[in-house]
Amino acid sequence: MALGVFFVRCVHYFSMARWGLCILLYVLPFAAAANDYLDELISAARAKHLADQLQWRALLHYKPRLIFSGVESQADDPEFFNAPDGKTNPEHELEATLAAFFSNRVETPTRQNPQCRFIARYQWLKRELKFDPARLPEQPCRRYREWRDTLNPDALTLVFPAAYLNNPASLYGHTLLRVDAQDQDERTRLLAYGINYAAATNETNGLTFAVKGIFGGYPGLFSMTPYYSKVTEYNDLENRDIWEYELTFTHEEIERLLTHAWELGPVRFDYYFFDENCSYYLLSLFDAARPELRLTDRFPLWVIPADTVRVVTEEPGLLRRITYRPARSTILRYREQRMSAEQVVLAKAIARGTEPLAAPALAPLSDVERARVLELAYEYLEYSRLRGEAPDAARAAARLRELLLARSRLTVAAETPPPTPPVRPDEGHRSARVSIGVGRENGAGFYQLNLRPVYHDLLDPEAGYNRGAAIEFGNLVVRYREQEERARIERVDIINILSLSPRDALLRPLSWRVDFGLVRKPVNSADDALVFRVNGGAGVAGEWTRRSFWYALFEADVNTNDHLEKGYAIGAGPAAGALIDLTERWRVQLEGRALRYGVGAVHSGDELALNQRVTLGPQSALRLELARKHEFSQTTREATLSWSYYF
Amino acid sequence: MLKKKLVAVALVGLFPLGVMAAGENNIGTCGWGSKLFDGQRGVAPQVLGGTTNAIGSQTFGISSGTSGCTQDGVVKSNWKTAMFIDGNKEKLARDMSIGNGESLDSLAKLMGVRDADKPAFFLAAKENFARIFASDNASTDQIVASLKQVLAERSDLSVYSTAI
Repeated sequence: MALGVFFVRCVHYFSMARWGLCILLYVLPFAAAANDYLDELISAARAKHLADQLQWRALLHYKPRLIFSGVESQADDPEFFNAPDGKTNPEHELEATLAAFFSNRVETPTRQNPQCRFIARYQWLKRELKFDPARLPEQPCRRYREWRDTLNPDALTLVFPAAYLNNPASLYGHTLLRVDAQDQDERTRLLAYGINYAAATNETNGLTFAVKGIFGGYPGLFSMTPYYSKVTEYNDLENRDIWEYELTFTHEEIERLLTHAWELGPVRFDYYFFDENCSYYLLSLFDAARPELRLTDRFPLWVIPADTVRVVTEEPGLLRRITYRPARSTILRYREQRMSAEQVVLAKAIARGTEPLAAPALAPLSDVERARVLELAYEYLEYSRLRGEAPDAARAAARLRELLLARSRLTVAAETPPPTPPVRPDEGHRSARVSIGVGRENGAGFYQLNLRPVYHDLLDPEAGYNRGAAIEFGNLVVRYREQEERARIERVDIINILSLSPRDALLRPLSWRVDFGLVRKPVNSADDALVFRVNGGAGVAGEWTRRSFWYALFEADVNTNDHLEKGYAIGAGPAAGALIDLTERWRVQLEGRALRYGVGAVHSGDELALNQRVTLGPQSALRLELARKHEFSQTTREATLSWSYYF
Repeated sequence: MLKKKLVAVALVGLFPLGVMAAGENNIGTCGWGSKLFDGQRGVAPQVLGGTTNAIGSQTFGISSGTSGCTQDGVVKSNWKTAMFIDGNKEKLARDMSIGNGESLDSLAKLMGVRDADKPAFFLAAKENFARIFASDNASTDQIVASLKQVLAERSDLSVYSTAI
């Protein structure tokens, strides 16, 4: 109708100039009217102090600045802001956002109207300021609506693929969000969608990825995939157990979260491995849904995925239910234990083709046993194929099909799945540790303080962690020797990673270790000093029983310090040990190593240690560590009794 | 017997492999070409709310050419079943060989199989494993076509042969 009036009025004018004037005169009042309403809205927003509210802070990701006063948004993409100073000025950003809502831009598959591009902000401001649709028309936002309707959201699940240590990229676990649909049930979770925040890169070099990831060298992006794709990626390609934590967000909160996830999609947030990582940004989505949670505020320094799972599970009433999804390697180990050794060997041979599918050894087996052998052969071959270990890809594919075909001819029910572990990753000891201890070194007493921000070593209580896996960052040990009446740094483990994976009939992983840091050790026959050390080793590990295993590595060791002859020493040698759980709470470790340094300061260094740990409670443990070391003809006998607290 | 053959021929004639208009049936190419027991592949994640060619959709290592099947990260409804089969071939093969499993349950749901018909559906899939997965590098199109035939041949399940 407005258009009709326009034509009636303007059609009487003949010259271009007058057309122009007519258009201007006609449009200006509308423009002025829009500005009037915008001014009204801005005044109302100021009166209600909307820019100071938790919801606005959560949606714009404002955090207090470290050094200066005021706030700064963690978004690193100028497209996220409507005001030129939006990154640091919540009021200007809110007013510029309101102005942007008046845009007439039409939506295309590659571009949206600001009301849709910033739909969470729009919906919140609309509710707070009670937008009048006659003065600020509401855009249809078809793309958002279709996306949201396809999701058909009913509940949210926090998904935690646990760490699998032989893959360093999975060190701290990961978290992603699953949007559960209204028509979903127990057996159709795979059809849900997952929202995932990750560093966007194709980098395959582990070291480059680690360095750039730590220092914000990659953009982090939110993306969406069908959940089954993620399950394949984590369970099968990376062999990680998955834990699913169903949450109790209301439908209204879920809408808020989804509108905010939509806003965040194309926005670049610099990905920082330690503090602005996958888990941090998922928590920011929860903050948008329920700002009172203030989950991101609880992580000022660094964020470990397992810790973010903890804050969610410990929030009263937020957790509904937990489901466990074992990795293929977990399934393989479980099935192996339920079959006889001969059947496991047979399954492996059939998988590899060294035994035919119609092996004579299968004949005397019952249908159930034969089904299990075929299934184990299939799972093992598929495991090998996905790891790139199947020698002939084409033959593997043919054999896989043959195995399934043979299985399809047997009427036997499916094998029971591995049981859910009694202790979940979020129920394990907390990530930081402080220890105080007393001890004697060659007869002289000392006190010791140990501070470790993250994460876990072989003697920490194992429940909820992977067996044989140890990672430590920034472990600091300070010792006060009574005779010297001063405290000195004994060691600083900058990075310490150990992956001991027991071998069995089917799985033969490599065990390895990497560590570097500072350690106080003898530098000649008289003195000691804080030496910089890099150590790497590889070897094997095996299980004797469920509660005991052994390991043997060959290590290389590089030490540098000015007090060393020539300033450095390079050596190598074997290391071996055993871990035995005498009871559920009492673990004993025996370890020995013999390093021969042949380059630089030539010498040898031997060590024998007997360590014990008794778990006192979920977050505390007692240790007794005895060691005998011999290096540069200095012998040290040491005993330390310490108490550890995890927080 | 002859009638069965005629039906089979007619069905094959209706679904030539190749590009089809998306509106006519669920099978087309949509870019995928992955095969059974082939190699690592998955669904390329899509960045939310951005351009369909945003960097997110190309930067993650594993991908299959599924662009065009999705908009803003969710699968267009008429591609859903085919895309699920494309992304879960090995799991579906394994579940069908046993006669049940989570992936098979999910496929049944996508196809709208009623609870009462599920046992027959699972049994038909298991008994016809060799036909449905006719080769060890079967393509999605081949698997879908075979599954359709298997369902069409059974009076109690033929109604589902049009669901894929």
